[in-house]
Amino acid sequence: MHGQNRHHTEPLTEAAQVKALKAGDAVAWRDLLSRYGPSLLNYASSLLGDRGAAEEILQDSLVNIYRTIDRFEGRCSLKSWLYRGVHNRAIDEIRRRKRYVEVSADGLEDYFNEQGHWKHDCPGWDGLAAKQLDEKRVLSVVRQEMDRLPHMHREVLLMKDVEGLKTSEICAALEISAGNLRIRIHRARVALRTALSITLSVPLRAAVVG
Amino acid sequence: MMYLQCAKVVDKISDIMDGHASILVRMRFHGHLLLCKNCRRYYDQLRTVRTLSGQVKSVDLLTELPDDFGQVMDFVMAEIEPEIEPEKGEKDA
Ligand SMILES: [Zn+2]
Repeated sequence: MHGQNRHHTEPLTEAAQVKALKAGDAVAWRDLLSRYGPSLLNYASSLLGDRGAAEEILQDSLVNIYRTIDRFEGRCSLKSWLYRGVHNRAIDEIRRRKRYVEVSADGLEDYFNEQGHWKHDCPGWDGLAAKQLDEKRVLSVVRQEMDRLPHMHREVLLMKDVEGLKTSEICAALEISAGNLRIRIHRARVALRTALSITLSVPLRAAVVG
Repeated sequence: MMYLQCAKVVDKISDIMDGHASILVRMRFHGHLLLCKNCRRYYDQLRTVRTLSGQVKSVDLLTELPDDFGQVMDFVMAEIEPEIEPEKGEKDA
């Protein structure tokens, strides 16, 4: 609506779009793929850490989504449905390769004393980023650290903060509750902060170039 | 003064950033930040993390996506529109 859709001259409602997709309308499919495909590829690629495999998985998932679109009943948005299909396929592949990274207790931070106050000062990030690294390099460090996170953290971070999905869309795609998502997203950001602190605090140049 | 424990303040940060906290919680949270340098730092850092995460995609999209997605698109559309494939076998007959 409001001109956001550049693929159709007349924006379709989701119900109309689904109807066209179920009828096998190639224009509707092309529109759907070009609207969500790049983000889905980005998502699968970041989750797998392997772009070539992500392309194959995306192809397979999309063909599968095309073949099973009749089963889509509109209980969630089309976008969530697409993400769910690609996500499940990608996780299957990660597990098949035995590369699924579990959340470990080692990464949990223990900053607080029994009274719940800081044991030591929270280290500042004053030396970070802007002063010594250009934006592109900071972002490449962020990407690199994100790719190392446990999959449970990575998937919510990618959907929420990278791809910008709404809470309801993520919950539908991952089939989890809103409360569960809130906890997971917080833990994921905390884990990424820890990872970035290690990489970006002291010798910045050495850490990034090396 | 610091009637909220720092550990609890830190736990609330994502809810605050994502707009999931009530006004009362937000007021107590920001009241605590005024007095506590460590929580203030941590809050700023998590906000930076979120901002940077949101910018990662723009870099990826600009530098990587168009070419390889074109191939995926062609593959999937060939499945959807098989009739576009040129017919084979006529010349061989
Ligand atoms: Zn505090």
